[in-house]
Amino acid sequence: MSRPTDLVQGTLDLLILKILALQPMHGWAIGERMTQMSKEVLQVGPGSLYPALHKLEQAGWIQAKWSVNEANRRVKFYSITRQGRKRLQLEAADWKRLSGAISSIVFEN
Amino acid sequence: MRFLRSWRSRVRWLFRRSEIEAELQDELHDYIERQTERHRSDGLSPEASSLAALREAGGIEQVKEECRDVRSRWLEDFGKDLRYTARSLRRSPGFLAVSVLSLALGIGANTAIFSLINALMLRSLPVKNPQSLVHITRVDSDGKPQSVSWPLFQYFRDNLKSISSAAAERSERPTIFIDGRDEVVSADFVSGDQYRMLGVEPAAGRLLEPADDKVATSPSAVISYGYWRRRFGLNPAAIGKTFTVQDHVNVFTIVGVTPPWYHGVVLGSDPDVSVPVATMLSEEKRNEPTYNNFNMMGRLAPGVTHQHANAELQVLWRAFKQRVAATLPEKDRPGYLQERAAMLSGRTGFNPLRDRYSEALLVLMGIVALVLLLACANLSGLLLARAAARQREISIRLAIGAGRGRLIRQFLTEGFVLAALGGSVGLLLARLFATTLVTTMANGEAVTLSIAPDWHVLTFTAALSLLACVVAGLAPGLHGLRTDLTLGIRQQRSAGNQRLGRALVIAQVSISMVLVTGAILFAATLLKLYSVDRGLNTEGVLTFSLRTSGKCPPERCRTAVQSLLDSLNRLPGVASASAVDVLPISGSLWDRDVQVEGYSFRSGEDQGTAFNAIAPKYFSTVQTPLLRGREFNLRDTRTSRKVTIVNQSFARYFFGAASPLGRTVTSVKVSYEIVGVVADAKYTNLKQPLMKTMYIPWTQRMEEEPTDFNFLTRATGAIQCALFQRSRGSSARPIPLCV
Repeated sequence: MSRPTDLVQGTLDLLILKILALQPMHGWAIGERMTQMSKEVLQVGPGSLYPALHKLEQAGWIQAKWSVNEANRRVKFYSITRQGRKRLQLEAADWKRLSGAISSIVFEN
Repeated sequence: MRFLRSWRSRVRWLFRRSEIEAELQDELHDYIERQTERHRSDGLSPEASSLAALREAGGIEQVKEECRDVRSRWLEDFGKDLRYTARSLRRSPGFLAVSVLSLALGIGANTAIFSLINALMLRSLPVKNPQSLVHITRVDSDGKPQSVSWPLFQYFRDNLKSISSAAAERSERPTIFIDGRDEVVSADFVSGDQYRMLGVEPAAGRLLEPADDKVATSPSAVISYGYWRRRFGLNPAAIGKTFTVQDHVNVFTIVGVTPPWYHGVVLGSDPDVSVPVATMLSEEKRNEPTYNNFNMMGRLAPGVTHQHANAELQVLWRAFKQRVAATLPEKDRPGYLQERAAMLSGRTGFNPLRDRYSEALLVLMGIVALVLLLACANLSGLLLARAAARQREISIRLAIGAGRGRLIRQFLTEGFVLAALGGSVGLLLARLFATTLVTTMANGEAVTLSIAPDWHVLTFTAALSLLACVVAGLAPGLHGLRTDLTLGIRQQRSAGNQRLGRALVIAQVSISMVLVTGAILFAATLLKLYSVDRGLNTEGVLTFSLRTSGKCPPERCRTAVQSLLDSLNRLPGVASASAVDVLPISGSLWDRDVQVEGYSFRSGEDQGTAFNAIAPKYFSTVQTPLLRGREFNLRDTRTSRKVTIVNQSFARYFFGAASPLGRTVTSVKVSYEIVGVVADAKYTNLKQPLMKTMYIPWTQRMEEEPTDFNFLTRATGAIQCALFQRSRGSSARPIPLCV
């Protein structure tokens, strides 16, 4: 698995928040869903994912809960909080403005 | 809200650390398992898939460390470092003891001197706006303050526009007669404006006002809070009590109490009783412009600068000198006109201790700074040795990925712990040193100087401890990190390490040499002082002084003193007993101008001679050899021929090699015949050169009878105790006498 580019690293928070906004899930599933939704373009390893998850949890934008799944395994489920949703809106708007600006320069002809 | 929540999670993390670590472990384990399953479903073998999963994850420990790093860790790391430091220090108790001791000595000495400097030079009087207080005084050639006379005080007070108010003060230790008993108290004679100028409010009753200066009958007095508590137990009935002071005729009434934080204006003393100075002045003292006995303090008028006020002072002082010089005899005028006056800062009050000891204290400060430097070099050497011993540990830690910053933080924590320990012990030692120093400075007088550490001193100690440890620890710490890892693992000392170690040893030896040389010089001076020939033998001599309170009729006084001398001489075990007016080597001097038969003074020559009044057998009591003639005896009474004994310097100065016996000396219009010559003896103190001295019998003193007289007895060997009952006027005074 290749490590994501620096740009994606910066937007990892945004991606995680969005994925969790769609549905609460545990850490591995978040990585899988990210790969799937981006059509195999974005791949994130645990070295980046879990620190990001912990940072978001510390900031209060996501919360974690331990539960037992069907196979009697303990899994830690993450879900987005109300502040997290607000944050998501903020970061999404920022990303739109930023990416729009970059695109309009790069694809200027 | 978010801030609070993040703090909550931090705190939770701090307390439930092991639980959270376990959770992290589970989470990652779960991830690896799922990833392995994924590879399995892709078709790899079980071992290959788990290997692939682990490789992709990038190492579980690193991931965990990344997660941990996300949370703020300094608090937890600090706790870890402290525990680690405690463990490693416990393992080397020798190092701990030596380093804490060196630090404690260095820091303790510095803190002691600093707390003295703080008490004497930095702390202000606890009154309103002390920065605007000024000390108006004559000064000597070194700039040290002397005193002013009453006419001078009035002159400055009335004419200096730069000051808004002024007060004069004088301290004494008189005997007062209160509640039917005699008592020795410390007293302040103050002018009426003192309390108002300082902005002091009474704790009870009222304080002295300018109007009290003019009251002739039944004047008022004020007592201190401490005295009120000690003597009267805070009883409000104390206000209204009356007392008399020594042999003054006024009866004083206590009208109020000063607040508990007020200790007078002279640093180091605490007056029990304050009376208006105007009531204590005789006509002579009131009008004599050269009778300098008062300390004067003023408050600058608002908006006036110190320099401006000082300039005005100089102008007025010159005018005053001109006026007074015209009234002086011709020969005294040039000397008087040379006198200087100045306006000094009054922020710390009158400060005789500071004036005497400030230079010594600053020199001491320099010396103890050297001591601290020595202690730091010592500590640095110890830390270097310790770092060298831990080279292997440091190398391993560096190899497994500890950041250099992390290691430096741990060294600093060690330094911090040592600083805390050294500083605390140093603070205790400082208390001991400072108390000893104050006792030495007090020199037998009662000095109340609060050297309890206030926040100035504590800040100083803390800063010094930290600085010492940083300085001591930085060099070995940085040096230790710069090493080559392989060398470190093999525990070999690099060349740089050895160089630093040697440099530290050289530094310590040099500083020690400087300190030891200084100590030897000081000790030599002290030894010389002790071994100087005093001209009298104070070993085995007991002295005590007697005071009268209330007026003692001269005749009765004389018979009482005589009978006391007789009783003393009759005591078994007493070789001889005598009395003297000015006790030698006590810091006092009594001198007068004399005219000598057959000698004419050149102009400008000093006519002063030291004076003293003694009882018979004085010279045999202090063992000053009698060279010619005789001692005084009982036949030298008030009415017999006036006689005097002179010392060798006197005889040689005025008569050369010829015998002075039978010649006449005149002083204050009384002629004395010389009947004896004694060897020279030290008078004021051990450092003063020997002076011409003349002695007269105590019965032949012409002024009012002395109210304190110093008795001396030379006893032989065994411990003697004798109890005397004596009647003096209306009070009986038992005198226990023990050798």
